[in-house]
Amino acid sequence: MKQTQQKSSTLLALTSAALALPGMSGKADAAAPVSEPVLRYHASHYREADIERKDHLGGSRERYEIDTHQLGLAAPLSRATDIKLDLMVESMSGASPWYVQPGAGGKPVQAMSGASIKEERYDIQGRLNHFVSSDTVLSYMAGYSDEDDYEAVNVGFEFEHTIPAKQLTVSSGIGYSDDEVEPTQGKTPVSVLKAEKDNLTLFAGLGLVLDARTAVQTSLSVSDQQGFLSDPYKLVYIANQNNPFYADSRPDERRQWVWLTRFRHFVPAANAAFHADYRYFDDDWDIESHTLELGWYQNVGPTWRIDTSLRWYSQTAAFFYAPYFLSQRADGYASSDYRLSPYGALGLRVKAVKKLGPWQLSAEFETYSAKASYSLDDVDVENPGLVEFNTFTLGFDRVF
Amino acid sequence: MRICIVLLAVLLVSACSVTKVEPWDRQYLSRPEMAWDPDNTTAAYRAHVYFSKEASSGGTGAGGGGCGCN
Repeated sequence: MKQTQQKSSTLLALTSAALALPGMSGKADAAAPVSEPVLRYHASHYREADIERKDHLGGSRERYEIDTHQLGLAAPLSRATDIKLDLMVESMSGASPWYVQPGAGGKPVQAMSGASIKEERYDIQGRLNHFVSSDTVLSYMAGYSDEDDYEAVNVGFEFEHTIPAKQLTVSSGIGYSDDEVEPTQGKTPVSVLKAEKDNLTLFAGLGLVLDARTAVQTSLSVSDQQGFLSDPYKLVYIANQNNPFYADSRPDERRQWVWLTRFRHFVPAANAAFHADYRYFDDDWDIESHTLELGWYQNVGPTWRIDTSLRWYSQTAAFFYAPYFLSQRADGYASSDYRLSPYGALGLRVKAVKKLGPWQLSAEFETYSAKASYSLDDVDVENPGLVEFNTFTLGFDRVF
Repeated sequence: MRICIVLLAVLLVSACSVTKVEPWDRQYLSRPEMAWDPDNTTAAYRAHVYFSKEASSGGTGAGGGGCGCN
């Protein structure tokens, strides 16, 4: 009996090593059970650029500043089961876009929330991976998120099966989130006192090892959102009304389709990995987007790595979006939220990683800028609320 | 459009030529920088930021709840 256990233990270790490959696992770290506990901590500072004077109508020009702490723990529970816990705590302050109205010559200008918003958000996510065989993993997820005006509970299940002879991994999953919004009564009026929404996501994917240096993964997912999908703090400006300010109003259903393809190629001559990710997004609000991210992960000596990536994003507008409205829409929907406007964005990220015994230290900087001119399509009128931000992150991993 | 995406995805995978890779030839594939997300903590943070600033999100799995991010 003891000999059988030793054999199966050795077999599991060998197959786990063979399976610990990108392309054979939906998530690289889910390919084999965690063998040693790992503790991770990241501290990030996010800062949005002040809104430009030429685009500013009133309220504070200072936009969001967010400090984030992330603590993660991954640990084995048994030979075939591991658990991962991730805690995120965010402290936010700053002003948020409130409404847009026509300025000089009809050019849209942005009014910001007057009072500085201060709030905190706590999010905890757990994941249990169970390896029912050397080729099959079942994962169970659950999470809870809480902030002053928002609460969300989510659960999920994922299945992953590898066919070693084909160098192929198939994966699928389902996720459900139940969210409740209770807007904070402040200096800006809110459109509801309490509301709910839920989100159901289904996905299926394939991962394929093409050769000893190349892997590709492609997946398709569909999400259905139902309930209160409007922004309770935002207003829209409708020019031909006696009181031109109306609440942001969106359909109470939204179906989203996402196709994601990821490519990884190792270049031995450079001792570096090339990453290419492309995501196509389409929904029944008429929003269509393209996201392309190219990355170069350069090893420098035995203990350093420099990661660099460039991200481009472009989206079309929701069918009920306009910077401001000349008259009310027949269906009653209206939003001037910059996130539903047509625009493009460019982001650049640089990260340095240093291994030091059981420690891994990292420092990361990312800069992001959204503009109408970065869009794939021509944009007639740019939303004045488009965001620019920088993030700076320090982190460590410690293996025990 | 959605049918085109599905067809494109199927074509993409079926068009890929696969070279047999033995377990002892997988040292490059198993390197951490070859993972889909070399750092899950960073990936979760970045996905959260983009989720709160862009109209599109998702694609990498089934997990996660919403937020009241403005």
